[in-house]
Amino acid sequence: MINKIIEVGYGKVNKVKIGDKLPLAFIGGPCAIESRDHAFMMAEAIGKICQRIGISWIYKSCYDKDCRSAPDSYHGLGVDDGLRILADIRDEFGIPVVSDFSDPAWATATGEVCDMVQVPAYLCRQTSILRAAALTKRPIHLKKGQFMSPWNMKNSVRKIEAAGNHQILLADRGTFFGYNMLVNDFTCFPIMAKTGYPVCFDGTHSIQMPTSMGNISGGQREFIPYLVRAAAACGINALFMEAHNDPDNAMSDANTVLNIKHLENVLGQAKAAHEFRLEMLEQFGEDNVHSEK
Amino acid sequence: MSIQKNNAILISEVMMPLDRMVVISETVIMKEALEKMGQSHLGIACIVDDKNILLGILTDGDIRRKLLKVQKPLSALLVDDALEHAIVLPMTTHSDMTLKAAIVLMGDKKIWDFPVVNSQGVLVGLLHLHPAVKALLGC
Repeated sequence: MINKIIEVGYGKVNKVKIGDKLPLAFIGGPCAIESRDHAFMMAEAIGKICQRIGISWIYKSCYDKDCRSAPDSYHGLGVDDGLRILADIRDEFGIPVVSDFSDPAWATATGEVCDMVQVPAYLCRQTSILRAAALTKRPIHLKKGQFMSPWNMKNSVRKIEAAGNHQILLADRGTFFGYNMLVNDFTCFPIMAKTGYPVCFDGTHSIQMPTSMGNISGGQREFIPYLVRAAAACGINALFMEAHNDPDNAMSDANTVLNIKHLENVLGQAKAAHEFRLEMLEQFGEDNVHSEK
Repeated sequence: MSIQKNNAILISEVMMPLDRMVVISETVIMKEALEKMGQSHLGIACIVDDKNILLGILTDGDIRRKLLKVQKPLSALLVDDALEHAIVLPMTTHSDMTLKAAIVLMGDKKIWDFPVVNSQGVLVGLLHLHPAVKALLGC
């Protein structure tokens, strides 16, 4: 199996390479674009942290949150305004950006601005979304649905490949455990990595308790560092976390976003765990025990 | 026709053409490979690349051994590429070999099927033991 490396970033932004034994990459930002000022403030604050830690970063924020549980939950700024802000963040900070999209009709516009397009977990097996993502020609952040086995993600990968795109990052964001609860099975990383594509851990949505609060999702933010450390030690190529300066008042995913005051702590540990894992592989050998099966 | 006379029969005269055997691409998953093998009533699938070069074979025996060895859930096994569980670099033969020599070799190696390739490794057919023996016996 060849471990593929994807490169995120076009034009004048920093290019972020993800895969194989490259340094851990970070994908993060506020869940939703709340306003231009907030998006810029978050980009500046996260950028400084990433610079201090020395980790390459892709700014993530979404212009439309189509999977809200309540009709009056914040839905987002919309395609036009949201993408304009992301484009300006690219230009201002020189960083690649990613947003998800929930409607195939939004794919082209999303791909024209964003360096990477994201397929929401709930839509990870929708052929029309996967095909639309592929046709943007951008790298695709494909999240494993909470209802999907890691081995069945290969079917979604094949749909993307069939549309001519071979730049995929596969992410785990937890798996349904009964109702309103997620668990993480970290064997998903080597299983999804068998596709040859790099893998990512979504450290903030993994602690989500889907729609556990009646008409919004709850979450146990206190467990973020534990899962992140474990995932990095298991073997990932990228870490995804949503961060906010005021989680309790975040307009989306308030119960799961990481308070930015903890970002340096968690991200620093993730980077250290990733580096230590690579050192261990170097010293003790690769993970391919019992591969003779 | 005597067996003596049939000693001169070549594999090319008896082998199954590609359209009568199970030939699958390297991205075909186990579930699809098993379906095709079941439909063909053959115990072997030949896996080829896009130039029809033989990459490996998957046989009933390989699958039986895998079922006992691989402990992953059946749903995970079924979505694996068939090539992952195949015998790579299998024994092959050429179409200009005599049928008798091939059958002797199949007996020695205890195999029922012999993929037939040309000098470039391109799959051209399959020698299956039953029609091979029938041809040798002249029936």
